[in-house]
Amino acid sequence: MSSLEVKDLHVTINSSHILQGVNFLVPENKVTALLGRNGVGKSTTLKAIMGLNPGTGSIKFGGTEIVEMPTHKIVQMGVGYVPEDREIFASLTVKENLALAARDAEPNYDLVYSLFPELLTRTSQRAGTLSGGQQQMVAIARALLNMNKILVIDEPTKGLAPKLVTEVANALAHVADHSTMLIVEQNLALVKAIAQNIIVMDQGKVVFTGGPENLRDESFVKSMLGVSGGHK
Amino acid sequence: MSTFLLILITGTGLGALYFLVASGLSLIYGLMGVLNFAHGAFLTIGAFTGLWISTKVFPNPTTWTFIVSMLAGGIAAGLFALLMEQLVINRLYNRHIDQALVTVGVSLVAVALLGGWFGNDARFLPTPTWFMKAVTIGDAIIPIDRFIYIGVAAILLIAMLSILKFTRIGLIIRAGVENRSMVSALGINVRLAFSTVFFIGGFAAGVGGVLISVFSYGVSPLMGGSWLIYGFIVVVVGGMGSITGSAIAAMLIGITNQFANYYLTGLGDFVVVLILATVLLTKPSGLLGKVNH
Amino acid sequence: MLRWKYSRPLLIAITVIFAILPFAGENPLSKAGIQQTLAVAFLYGALALTYDLLFGFTGLLSFGHALYFASGIYVTAILINDFNWNFLLAILGAIIFTAFLAALTGGAALRTTGITFAMVTLAFGQAGHVFIARDFGGLTNGDDGLPVNADRLPDFFIGVVNTKYLYLLALGILVFIYFAAWWITESSAGRVFAALRDNEQRVSVLGLNPTRFKLLSFVLSAAMAALIGAAMLIVSGSGSPRYAGADVTIALLLMVILGGPVTRWGAVLGGILYSVLSTRLNVLSQSSAFDSLPNFISGPLSEPAFTLGLIFILIVMFAPGGISGAYYRARFKYLNKGK
Repeated sequence: MSSLEVKDLHVTINSSHILQGVNFLVPENKVTALLGRNGVGKSTTLKAIMGLNPGTGSIKFGGTEIVEMPTHKIVQMGVGYVPEDREIFASLTVKENLALAARDAEPNYDLVYSLFPELLTRTSQRAGTLSGGQQQMVAIARALLNMNKILVIDEPTKGLAPKLVTEVANALAHVADHSTMLIVEQNLALVKAIAQNIIVMDQGKVVFTGGPENLRDESFVKSMLGVSGGHK
Repeated sequence: MSTFLLILITGTGLGALYFLVASGLSLIYGLMGVLNFAHGAFLTIGAFTGLWISTKVFPNPTTWTFIVSMLAGGIAAGLFALLMEQLVINRLYNRHIDQALVTVGVSLVAVALLGGWFGNDARFLPTPTWFMKAVTIGDAIIPIDRFIYIGVAAILLIAMLSILKFTRIGLIIRAGVENRSMVSALGINVRLAFSTVFFIGGFAAGVGGVLISVFSYGVSPLMGGSWLIYGFIVVVVGGMGSITGSAIAAMLIGITNQFANYYLTGLGDFVVVLILATVLLTKPSGLLGKVNH
Repeated sequence: MLRWKYSRPLLIAITVIFAILPFAGENPLSKAGIQQTLAVAFLYGALALTYDLLFGFTGLLSFGHALYFASGIYVTAILINDFNWNFLLAILGAIIFTAFLAALTGGAALRTTGITFAMVTLAFGQAGHVFIARDFGGLTNGDDGLPVNADRLPDFFIGVVNTKYLYLLALGILVFIYFAAWWITESSAGRVFAALRDNEQRVSVLGLNPTRFKLLSFVLSAAMAALIGAAMLIVSGSGSPRYAGADVTIALLLMVILGGPVTRWGAVLGGILYSVLSTRLNVLSQSSAFDSLPNFISGPLSEPAFTLGLIFILIVMFAPGGISGAYYRARFKYLNKGK
């Protein structure tokens, strides 16, 4: 069971009531995209799910209540997390970054290196000296090493050059076929390509749930997301 | 020339002792954000344990019994550190100022306990006679104990770096020093890393305490205070969370202190404080610092 | 209203009673010994309040506050002894000198924040301690301490029989510092200090320079500490390097935590209690009651640091607001009973 159910989630940080009762469902084996303008609380929501922000309400993963669970226990239930801004360990090598993330008895290095062949030639390189795109690959690779039940991904293509966006998109699409995924992404082309559900947030609440076909409607995109066509 | 060499080696020996105190402090702050004021107490506990071994358990000091003293001192201090972490630090998770404050309290209590039981007068730690001999290098006559401090510190430095580089817990510690929450987000329980770091830090301080007793000719409950301050200075100069940084800074400070004391008559402490202020005002993260708390 | 409406009149009444008692015939406060203990305690209460201004109120964790206290003591003594200044002018001189010292050291230290700031202040404090203890320039007399030339002080401060005037001096200083701290914290500058503690960003967004206000808080509390130092010189008769040591700064920290930060009266209470407790514990440890206890119990209990350290740990872990925090929590509960 790898569905994620969020009910009435409230998060307050430094007296700012950021999430004001968020409700949504991430169904099993589907890719759900979490969309919305900057600052509406998308990252905060993902962090609350991961236990990195304190929240009240209910978050159920595969039927188990995780809203008060410590982060590492949540992850051990089979959650692969790719944070906004990558957060790889600059002083560790690529190999060490991956080894740190490995939880299974036999982590899937084959998958990871086939998706990101550039990493194979850089295993002993200090991650801090990698390019932005390569660092993003490490961040995503970490989440793919283990047989995770769900992938929680925050803006994986942010700040990447178009060629790299394509590479990352391909990797995600490959994995999307057989995973449950919750992804925050501003790049609508990517969303259209891999998502089966979309959830739109505004001002700390969910304002729309539906299918990705809605993204073809320009007026929908403008009013919900305030952009036309998404970031490149 | 001979004086120069003597001061250089004494300074390095002193630096070795500073390193033993500072290394644990650096890791503990680097990984956990805890400013551990009880570290001086770790040192003192190690010294008293070493004293007990070298007087009550093996009254006739030989090289082997001294090694046992050091190990026992290290283990006793390490266990005390672990106990403190489990009972007190753990409960104040993420309350960094309160954690620092509580270590102040523990330090007061531990020192008062030792003072109450043993009195505040210094006691002599019996050492093998060859420690107090000297070797002649060129013109210089250099007491052997300096080399012992350097040797022990070097062994511990290599041991710590190896643990950090080659073990999983070491990997976790290195990553945690950089970004603790991300380590949790990879499914790793950092608490084990915390306990490990406290034990290792306590162990090094305990070993340092035994050696400091030799260097200072005595064991007393009050011995930890000034070494703790120097430990902090070394940690800040070397960079929080970096063992190598602590080693370099310790040498720098030990050697400078000795030279300043000799050539500028007694201004050693002053010069060290100047170094600290300079580093803080130019590169606040320290020489090799990598922590963003 | 969290503050009990009779608390201010009560405080004033208590202060007046304490001021009068030593002069009112036979009562617990008519003995010189008690007066001396309380005089020292009042001064530490005032000193704790100056530290609260810095740490509790403005959020600046300084490990070198003792430096400015010691500066007040030593500069006053040196100006009186070596330069033959009038004692009032000497005190003024000490305050001004310390203010400059604080402006310099604070200005340097405030280029950093947080733990680094704490370390810089520690370094400066240590430098001061070394300077005093090593007797550089022959000014401070090192470890032997620096007694002030009693001839240059007014007669009513000299001699055991006049201890009650020292007591009054200390009480007067405490009252003065309390008012000064109250005035500062309630002023518009004070509100900026409090804002700095909570959220520095908001202060800069308002167009105010945070560093300038931090420096102001730093210099003010240092100057007040110097005044208290001068008073301590008169009350105790001499300066000593331990006034500049880390022990005093740690004690100040304990006092503020014990009494509870930010509430002002908490720090004063913490300072007085701590000072009295450590003196009393010292005396107690020499009493015969202790002889009957086995050494491993009486030993540690004879060291005030043991009991104080234990209390400190318990407060930090279980009652972080200290005494005043507990009081306000209880009062809050009482006011909201049945709501």
